[in-house]
Amino acid sequence: MILVLIIVFSFSYIIDLSFVFVVLIKSFFNNSDDVYSQLNLTVADNILSLLLIVLLPVFIFSSSKVKKIFAQPLKFSNSILIILATCFLFAPIITTRHPDFQKNISVTKLLPPLSSVDYVEMNEKSIKSTNNNRLKSIIDKVIPNSYNENIIFIDSAIVGSDIKLYQSGVLIDIEKNNLMMLDNQPVIKSKLFIFGSDEYGRDVFTRIIYGSRVSLLVGFGAVLVSFILGLSFAFIAVERGGLVNIFLSRLTDLFLSFPAIFLVVLIIALFGSNVISIIVVLGFSGWMSLFKVAKSEMLSVKNKEYYLSAKLVGLKNINLLMKEIIPAILVPVSVNLIFQLSNVILAESALSYLGLGIGTEYPSWGSMIEAGQRYISQSWWLIFIPGLTLAITLLSINEVGKNINKYFNSAIR
Amino acid sequence: MKKEIYWAILKRIASSVLVLLLLVTFIFILVRLAPGNPAQKYISPKLSPQLAENVTRSFGLDKPIYVQYYTFVKNLFSGDFGISYNYRQPVFTVVKDYFLFTLVFSIISFVIQLLLGYMFAKYSFSKPGKLIDKLFSKSSIIIFSVPTFVIGLILVYIFSVKLDLFPTSGIKSIYHDDLNSFEKLKDYFIHLVLPMITLSLAGVAVFYKYLRDNFDSVKNSSFILNLRTNGFTEKEIFKKHLLPNAIQPLISIAGIEFGVLLGGALLTEIIFSLPGMGRLTVNAIMNQDFPLVIACSFIAGLMMVLSNLAADLIKIKMDKRFIKGLLN
Repeated sequence: MILVLIIVFSFSYIIDLSFVFVVLIKSFFNNSDDVYSQLNLTVADNILSLLLIVLLPVFIFSSSKVKKIFAQPLKFSNSILIILATCFLFAPIITTRHPDFQKNISVTKLLPPLSSVDYVEMNEKSIKSTNNNRLKSIIDKVIPNSYNENIIFIDSAIVGSDIKLYQSGVLIDIEKNNLMMLDNQPVIKSKLFIFGSDEYGRDVFTRIIYGSRVSLLVGFGAVLVSFILGLSFAFIAVERGGLVNIFLSRLTDLFLSFPAIFLVVLIIALFGSNVISIIVVLGFSGWMSLFKVAKSEMLSVKNKEYYLSAKLVGLKNINLLMKEIIPAILVPVSVNLIFQLSNVILAESALSYLGLGIGTEYPSWGSMIEAGQRYISQSWWLIFIPGLTLAITLLSINEVGKNINKYFNSAIR
Repeated sequence: MKKEIYWAILKRIASSVLVLLLLVTFIFILVRLAPGNPAQKYISPKLSPQLAENVTRSFGLDKPIYVQYYTFVKNLFSGDFGISYNYRQPVFTVVKDYFLFTLVFSIISFVIQLLLGYMFAKYSFSKPGKLIDKLFSKSSIIIFSVPTFVIGLILVYIFSVKLDLFPTSGIKSIYHDDLNSFEKLKDYFIHLVLPMITLSLAGVAVFYKYLRDNFDSVKNSSFILNLRTNGFTEKEIFKKHLLPNAIQPLISIAGIEFGVLLGGALLTEIIFSLPGMGRLTVNAIMNQDFPLVIACSFIAGLMMVLSNLAADLIKIKMDKRFIKGLLN
């Protein structure tokens, strides 16, 4: 249903984007060098989102197993997670702007939520096209860039026989023939900033949606790392037993007693702060609780008959792990993993708040809060809105974890 | 019985010492892993090679690794942390003031967390199912999931920017030295209210939720029913039978929380610019001031180990059956 909403709200953009896609495929067959030179990250992003939004309903409604999952009644926390997942996958289609788009900062900076700014566009004739490439011009027109020189934001305008345009009180100098006109009056459109704009004039709504990608990516990556680590350590400890067990228990005690923040800050200060190092470090700091839970569960599986018979038949260790143990311990481990996910998202935003996060090329909720700290007396929305989305995300993840816990554990009882 | 208790305590202390040694080794390895010679800051490129060698030898860096390790451990445990690169002073004098502040702040916050958590849990347990109970439970979950810095910033916004009641940062005003001692105390107090609320709120939520769940799960067990049919009053049942059973798992969590608090509450200190251990450590790591980093990490780890040990000792005293688990 949410997909339908998205499609409805940004229909024109989807039409334009599919046009770009068709032209892309056509010129791919003509001359492929041209295509490769135009494919930067934003273009690939948009095309992928378009493909996904078309293919995903097809995929969902074709397999019956997945359909059963979607037929369950919707709770509030589940819906928040679904919204997050759609933000992750279809971010460029939900907001048709680039997260770093800044123009005419004196007009667009620090606007309160739900404010709209007027702008005029340049004429078709006056757009300087330095490149005669048809593909490039189409891509530039449709796909949002971080800078667009054909849009001019204005504060107020006096339109009569003589057109005067003002930007924050100062008259700007525009040739009358260059503007888009309708009946000799300039066309003034308006752009709506749903959550307001920050101190550089960037749209907060777009940055939050792109920031959800960062949080989910780091979250799932770190959870995967700690899952692999915790599970393999628990398996080794349970299989070998004895001295290895004691050693690994002491190791987990060591990791628990060492303050995790300092370890993370230390490693990031030593090895630089990019996505991979943050995922690895956060995964390394969170595998302890998974180790304890998995070890106690594995100990109870170890003496069961099906496990012993599988081992006697001669399954290798890896097969043993995958086929016998994981289905048995899946429920408590997955509850633990979900709470670990909420911890990791919290830790990632705390690191971005301290300035040690992903970096400045992708907006992250923590860095938005840090940047908004300086304007706390004039713009409350710069802190409040990322904080609210962060709190709602964490709350819904905790709620889902609790629900899974209640569902599966009460079924056993 | 006494011999068993002594054995259990000894074993626990021995495992703490082992964890401490592993911690020191780990810090040693991490610092040596960092790119660059630890003595690099004292050697400028214009130095002649012999002088550079002299400096390296004076730091003891040309000796084999295990000798370095031995002197490292010996120095740490005797309190000689070396000289900080940035402050050009013995690390001990630098850390002393910051650690004192963190100690006082953490102890007050911890006591507030425990007291408030216990009071709220007891109050909402005495009125189960009513509006207050549901309100407290839901809000404790909400407070627990909102990150600390967001709560801190919201509090700063409401109380400092809009209502102008509390100052936003630091622990002293500019005119602090001119006041008499009673006003000085009031000045400290006003500066510390907002950080204290920010730090304690998450802890209060955790303790409240834990205690409330434990009360609920113990309330329906059979021995409570037995006592009730025998005619004990509710107050007696609560104080002597319900409470000790419910507090047991709380003590381990309280121990971990106290250790984390003593290690330095990083985010609160950065929002409110408090002179505490967390900010000192992070600044030391950023400036690559290795003696300070080693000392801060060691102190933080030591506090964690000590508070875990204290929590376990309290648990031994409360319930002798815990010893069986320790002795295995």
